[in-house]
Amino acid sequence: MTSTASSQKIILAHEGMANSRALSTYKANGGYTALAKALKMQPTQIIDEVKASGLRGRGGAGFPTGLKWSFVPRDITGPKYLLCNNDESEPGTFKDRHICTVSPHMIIEGIIIGAFTVNANKGYIYTRYEFQEEIGYLEVAIKEAYEAGLLGKNILGSGFDFDLDSYVGAGAYICGEETGMISSLEGKKGQPKLKPPFPAVSGYLGRPTVVNNTETLANIPWIINNGAAAFKKFGTEKSPGTKLFSISGPIKRPGVYEVPLGTKFMDFLNHQCGGMLEGKTFKACIPGGASAAVLTAEEMQNVTLDFECLAENGSMLGSGAIMVIDDSQSMTDILKVTMDFFSHESCGQCTPCREGTGWLANILEGIKERHATPKDVDRIYDIAKNMSGKTICALSDAAAGPAMSFIKKYGDEIKHNLGAEHS
Amino acid sequence: MAVFSAQLTDKIKSLVGRYETKRSAILPILHAIQDEYHWIHEEHINALEKDYEFNRVQVKEVISFYDIYSSTPKKPFQIRFCNNITCHMMGSQQIVDHLKDQCERTGFENCEVTPYPCLGKCDGAPVMLINKTRYENVSLENVDGMVLKHVQTHQKKELR
Amino acid sequence: MTTTTTDNQKAQAVKAPVQVTFTLNGQQISVPKGTSVMEAATKNKVDIPHFCWHPGLSVAGVCRFCLVKVEGARKLEIACNLEARDGMIVSSVDAEVKEAHKWALEFHLVNHPLDCPICDQAGECGLQDFYMSVGKYDSWMNRPKALKPKALDIGGDLVLDTERCILCSRCVRFEEEVTKTDALGIFDRGDRAIIGTYPGKKIDHNYTTNLVDICPVGAFTSKEFRFKKRVWFLQDRPSICPGCSTGCAVDVYGKPQERHYYRIKPRESEVNGHWMCDFGRHQYVPLNAELRLPKASLQVNQQQKYVLLEDALTELKTMLGQVQPSEVALLVSAQYTNEEYAKFFDYFVTQHKIKHVFQWREPTETIEAFDGLLMRGDHNANTQGLLSAMKQVGISAKPTNEFDKALDSKFKLVIALAPELPDTFPSLAGQLAKLSEAPAYTCVFSLMVSLARIPGFDCLIPMRGWAEKLGSFTNFEGKIRQLEASFPPAVLDALGVDEAVELLAGSRHFQPREHTVH
Repeated sequence: MTSTASSQKIILAHEGMANSRALSTYKANGGYTALAKALKMQPTQIIDEVKASGLRGRGGAGFPTGLKWSFVPRDITGPKYLLCNNDESEPGTFKDRHICTVSPHMIIEGIIIGAFTVNANKGYIYTRYEFQEEIGYLEVAIKEAYEAGLLGKNILGSGFDFDLDSYVGAGAYICGEETGMISSLEGKKGQPKLKPPFPAVSGYLGRPTVVNNTETLANIPWIINNGAAAFKKFGTEKSPGTKLFSISGPIKRPGVYEVPLGTKFMDFLNHQCGGMLEGKTFKACIPGGASAAVLTAEEMQNVTLDFECLAENGSMLGSGAIMVIDDSQSMTDILKVTMDFFSHESCGQCTPCREGTGWLANILEGIKERHATPKDVDRIYDIAKNMSGKTICALSDAAAGPAMSFIKKYGDEIKHNLGAEHS
Repeated sequence: MAVFSAQLTDKIKSLVGRYETKRSAILPILHAIQDEYHWIHEEHINALEKDYEFNRVQVKEVISFYDIYSSTPKKPFQIRFCNNITCHMMGSQQIVDHLKDQCERTGFENCEVTPYPCLGKCDGAPVMLINKTRYENVSLENVDGMVLKHVQTHQKKELR
Repeated sequence: MTTTTTDNQKAQAVKAPVQVTFTLNGQQISVPKGTSVMEAATKNKVDIPHFCWHPGLSVAGVCRFCLVKVEGARKLEIACNLEARDGMIVSSVDAEVKEAHKWALEFHLVNHPLDCPICDQAGECGLQDFYMSVGKYDSWMNRPKALKPKALDIGGDLVLDTERCILCSRCVRFEEEVTKTDALGIFDRGDRAIIGTYPGKKIDHNYTTNLVDICPVGAFTSKEFRFKKRVWFLQDRPSICPGCSTGCAVDVYGKPQERHYYRIKPRESEVNGHWMCDFGRHQYVPLNAELRLPKASLQVNQQQKYVLLEDALTELKTMLGQVQPSEVALLVSAQYTNEEYAKFFDYFVTQHKIKHVFQWREPTETIEAFDGLLMRGDHNANTQGLLSAMKQVGISAKPTNEFDKALDSKFKLVIALAPELPDTFPSLAGQLAKLSEAPAYTCVFSLMVSLARIPGFDCLIPMRGWAEKLGSFTNFEGKIRQLEASFPPAVLDALGVDEAVELLAGSRHFQPREHTVH
């Protein structure tokens, strides 16, 4: 699997190939050579390489992967686990799903390398229930890998044992949060766990556990084969590598695209994605999944798609889920859909999130029913602000961020549409 | 009379021993039960407690927490229609309203439509899931055909 | 041996808790390493508002109320899951923290019904208390609230109102961690989340009212107590539960003006932690005036007749003078205080040379039984105290029921200290009937009015109830359990055994008594 920076594809290198999911295709294109190489390396060398690559988690939070692996205690006995977070529950995101349809073995290879690095002998791919087709692809690939001696005892004669199983969620956004996922895998409600302790120390069943996003893990084989320096040729200094972007909305070619981090958004939208649908005007954009702050079309003009630029603009890269909004849309409706979603998905343990998300959805219901005043619209901002940064996991902030941004940027529009008696 | 079929019993038994702890098998077992019966009956929970020593409160918590499980009777064809941001922008609400009306009509009597928070395929918006099959780019024009065809193709399995 | 000593020393060095010192609201606080800021604050009487944290349960960290500011930290932290570290500077009174507490309360009240006027928790409700300390604002919530099931009988002493519930999960953790019955769960999610048992199932154990205690709001109320009395009308006294030999520390709640007791709650102590059993909770009932022997009583023409205390004690003293010590039996239950036993045995055994001392115990008791949590099969608060008091006067004994021995026809006088709690003595009615028919002159010290309805007793002396006494019990493991404060007796004439003995001995004199109203 040799590649050069000019090919611009790491994850989707096999996209469009006939039978791209098959182990034979994957192997014929260099698959599992990184695993063979990694199994001969010292785990610390692998960590160093991944750290040097600057790879940041692709699930939304952007935490450096090498650093995450280094947190797992090396000197303790007993089971450790590596979990692949394939829950992909952030609305707007469908890139991990796409990897499953193109190269499930790339995910599995990344998982085995990660597991070897942290010395985990058991792993799970946790996939959301809605991805039935993709779960099938993964389970076939796992079976193939076992048959080829790539999973199980003494992998490739290295002495390293690793078992991998598929686990299917049951419809809960919160299971995309790593400790929510762990709870779910333990057969419980998918409620995030109080931290500290962190999963690297006490995760699945109280054992050291690494949870990595699917796309993150799919980057690993390439980094091992080509080295950190080659990886860093893609993207920006602080956001190296390519990234899968899921783009949707009233545009000509919605889909999953692999582009180097740092790509200019407008070029991406207008060239790769073909621009807006005929007759639709670009009004706004949610650039990093439903939990990212909305940016206006104007703000998006100079945005580059990387962690830093979106953060500087008051939003986030998140999972790389870009939802394009055209000017026929009611921002009140989109905010309501978003708040209904977070209220529906709040796991309910932390009070500010449970009550706050419900309250915001409730106020928006009032706005829809024309029972609201401009003051209620302003209050959305204050309520959201005060439910931020106070809970076990980030769901509360995920709801608050967009709420505040919608009020800040489209508050006047929302007030204008309150109804005759208030407008 | 056994609560679960022989096949399902075998499946449950294999799931009980598949994970590090028995409790981890709760979700997969509930999936298996629901695949067969479309919902999870009190009798099923009783059997899980009696025959496999699962804690019924824990089982009930799980059923109530996740969207997929139902502890009330469900029709064999569950249409889960995404109503999240992109699908909303692409007109999902109108189609859901239409389907709700349709489900009262002949040919759709075994169908039930529920707005669903996200199906993870926004580039195919609007998206719906009929049981385990995903349908993309659904429109007012094509939705009836999609549903009827699905029902025809799968009714032997689901209505057994 | 040398090696062992060194190892021991090493082990001790490892075990010795390392102290850490941090600053809380400007105050330097030293605590063992591993202590949370919340625990440290509680020990140092610094109130950090909280709902889900409870010292007897695991940390859930879900109410997000106990936010504090840590110097140098990016955002506010919850004190319950924040380990105190050396040099840490923490504030729970900073303006930012106060604002956060105000909002925490606002979020808790979004779906709370605010039905305080009809809620039994009013007066001891966390929501009310924190509204006074961190709130005092007008709520912004102007939308319809979530409606949830109310007034559910879910077993034991419990009534559940799921609308009032703030989902702190204390009750769920109690069921998981303390009783290990796992009977409660939180179903559904988001603001539809709801506490409950499995539909149709009830909680069935002996510790249900603890759920009422730990519920910081009015979600769980006690069937026995609800709607009986507003809590602010009650007085409470620290005492010891008399229901078994464990000796749980309790607070007794009563209203002396009404000569009525209303409830018992556990008080934290090393013996019982934070809990007590439902059985013990009922042991205020026999103390209420309507069940109490109101006056002393003497037999006149085969009928009981209420008399002056002086007359009854004088008659007893006369009887005592007319018989030989060997013709007297002392029949003693194990439900009196150490101080009472000391006086009693000193007077009757040491001074009056009475040698026949018999234990009055429940014949069906299984003394070694233990429920694994708190309740023991010995339903007498002071078996150990009685035995050691007997030993003091030279009588060695093990706990045995010797009731029948006191009925021997050789005795002409039987002086009995009756058990005071009928719940602990299933055979009591039969025993009393037998005792009343004994040929001897029977003088019974008791608090129960039911004895006055049994014609055969010759003399009844009205006793104080356990909550009306000071003194101590010695529990099953020999720990002295102090009854720290007492209520005035619900009946004017009631005496402690010690007082009665002093009156008999002449070291105390009758005084006109008035019911003291506190």
